[in-house]
Amino acid sequence: MPSFVPYLIHTLFPPWVRRPTEIGAEIMMVAGGAFIVYWLLKYKKLQWLWNEWLTTVDHKKIGIMYLVAAIIMLARGGLDALMLRTNLAMPTLHFINASEYNEVFTTHGTIMVFFMGMPLIFALFNVVVPLQIGSRDVAFPRLNAISFWLFAFAAALFNLSFVVGGSPNAGWTAYPPLTELAFNHTVGENYYFISLLMTGIGTTITGINFLVTILRMRAPGMTFMKMPLFTWATLNTSALILFAFPPFTIALLESLLDRVAGTSFFTLSHGGMPMMYVNLFWLFGHPEVYILVLPAFGVFSEVVATFSRKKLFGYPSMVLSMTAIMVLAYGTWVHHFFTMGAGPAVNVFFGLSTMLIAIPTGVKVFNWILTMWGGRLTFTTPMLYFLAMIPTFVIGGATGVMLGAVPADYQFHNSYFVIAHFHQVLIGGTVFGLLAGVYYWWPKMFGYKLNDRQGKWAFWLFAGGFWPTFIPQYWLGLEGMTRRMYTYPFGLGWHTLNVISTIGGFIMGAGFLVLASNVLYSRRHQERDETGDAWGNGRTLEWSIPSPAPEYNFAVIPVVDERDWWWAEKERRQSGERPALPRPEDIRPIAIPKNTPVPILLGAAFFLGAFGLVFTWWYIALAGLAGVFGLLIYSWFQYDHYRILSAGEVRESEELLGRLGA
Amino acid sequence: MHGGDEQHETAMEPGFEFIRPRFEAPKFPMHQVWGYVASLVLTFGALWMTVNRIMNPSVLLGVVLAMAVAQAALQLGVFMHVRESRGPAWHLVPLGMAFAIGIGLVGMSVWIMMFKSGVS
Repeated sequence: MPSFVPYLIHTLFPPWVRRPTEIGAEIMMVAGGAFIVYWLLKYKKLQWLWNEWLTTVDHKKIGIMYLVAAIIMLARGGLDALMLRTNLAMPTLHFINASEYNEVFTTHGTIMVFFMGMPLIFALFNVVVPLQIGSRDVAFPRLNAISFWLFAFAAALFNLSFVVGGSPNAGWTAYPPLTELAFNHTVGENYYFISLLMTGIGTTITGINFLVTILRMRAPGMTFMKMPLFTWATLNTSALILFAFPPFTIALLESLLDRVAGTSFFTLSHGGMPMMYVNLFWLFGHPEVYILVLPAFGVFSEVVATFSRKKLFGYPSMVLSMTAIMVLAYGTWVHHFFTMGAGPAVNVFFGLSTMLIAIPTGVKVFNWILTMWGGRLTFTTPMLYFLAMIPTFVIGGATGVMLGAVPADYQFHNSYFVIAHFHQVLIGGTVFGLLAGVYYWWPKMFGYKLNDRQGKWAFWLFAGGFWPTFIPQYWLGLEGMTRRMYTYPFGLGWHTLNVISTIGGFIMGAGFLVLASNVLYSRRHQERDETGDAWGNGRTLEWSIPSPAPEYNFAVIPVVDERDWWWAEKERRQSGERPALPRPEDIRPIAIPKNTPVPILLGAAFFLGAFGLVFTWWYIALAGLAGVFGLLIYSWFQYDHYRILSAGEVRESEELLGRLGA
Repeated sequence: MHGGDEQHETAMEPGFEFIRPRFEAPKFPMHQVWGYVASLVLTFGALWMTVNRIMNPSVLLGVVLAMAVAQAALQLGVFMHVRESRGPAWHLVPLGMAFAIGIGLVGMSVWIMMFKSGVS
């Protein structure tokens, strides 16, 4: 046996990845991978997969790939959560031990924020925004695919840490000195920093892409104040991404250099400043929570108007308050570390700015409620998620204001009160919102609705399990239970509340299973939607085209003259004021971006380099870097990025869809 | 598609002449080469001064910050085409925001680091 083999085994599979959970995960990963390869080979789907999906630059397909990845990551993050809850319900059993607990809460937080929340948001951006603004693609289709593949390979790298080398274990915030090499020898934190740097590049590109798309590619006539609210939410989220990710990138890069290159940006023993990491992290981290919640606000604004059959109440104030949230989001980050001790003046400033942000948020909640006033409500699954959001988000927001009060924060800090608060706003706001969006736009993505009866079952389990899970955690926090503890003695009065919380967590897990089975069931059994306006009372541009949208989206780009253009257009068509279908001579040739293998290969090259860097195997890292540069240079010399779809082909396709007038 | 190809007079608000579009394309991008060299000098100069501690820390901090501002202006002018625009100068809005955040983060952090006190 060559001498490097034992070294490799020792480095790649150290003892802490040879525990039963890790071995089980390994078997599942290998078996799952083998099954997928077998299935692809048996049904000869390899070519199809490569041509239709892996090399695509079509925003609709990229959106669907984001969606699939996000649902898989939701399962992983949810399993992590259930492991944590099981441990806390049986504190003496030590279902998982202290170090494993550290790893699981770290991966739970990181996956839920960066590899579940963000891709689910980008799934909706990609699927909805170009259709909603009457565009044929995003501004930079190839960059869009690069964003996706950077995210996908980063997610793969991050999950690989569980079975190869060891998971990160310093919490999703990765504060020094917990991440310092002197105190943390495993490669886990390298995985954390490198995979987040990778996905961060992709996220920044996505932000720029959608900013340019919305600013430059709207249909004629769609002024800013005629843009649908979800598009407004996307615009504001992209602006947040643009400014929030640079400080995060710097914080990650400097931490990584501290670990692999011997610098001491944040190592206190060598004159570094750990609190500067905290500062940079939260300058990103606070806008990040608005990056997560603003798209959900956008979804709710669409859902509530559609299912109340009314136009949105107070559109200008909605836009204004969303933009105000975007600006104010940059002025609150220090409230995450009031206890640093920057002094009363600094803390009071950030306490007040935190409370200030409740005002525009409150405006939005009142506008949503008033949209329902006097409307004809239909209680579909997305509408139920909207209704469940109102009380959840209001209570979560109110406890946020409590945390913003500086003296009180010294008591709440680092306790379960904080955990309860941010789960309440992140699940009650973001996850409910994104699930509502997924149910709402599912027919636009796939051409059929998800089964509503099963969707309601999933809703009641998920939203019903939510309250017993998180409300007891407020009390646990007030009774002194701190976050990130893997066990506690009986007799502190924490056990009953923890058991209730765990039961609630498993109910939410059951909700996820029903949701997953709903997806599989609906694929076979739901009837196809031929109209394109699956809910019957769509208001915005995306419902005016067939479902799923053809690759060119709009055969003829509409001229927008109303805020709820499709609603007005339907009335005009019914009264015969406007022809229902476009004439063949209106259709012109369309330029479609070509498929390209560069994005997926770029992701793979990044993955190789990142893997080398995790283990500080510099030759592999350099090989990955060379691959990245090689691919970039290769694509400099490619000039024909578009192919032309002739007017005849478009007419033929529209004819088949029954969308061509005489 | 967006009317970007034809030559047209861009209507400018008075007072915004300094960002009037100019799309000159010389044969060899000498301008950019000098910008690149100057960026490298500013970056490694700051690193060299800090590593060798050539003056007392508070003066050094001021000098490094001044070099950072110079480099930001250089990058924006030479590489980021800040003076070029078709139509309204939308890019000034995010640029203003970037400056506000940059000054907030750098300035305020320097200020807080001067406290040198424990938990208050």
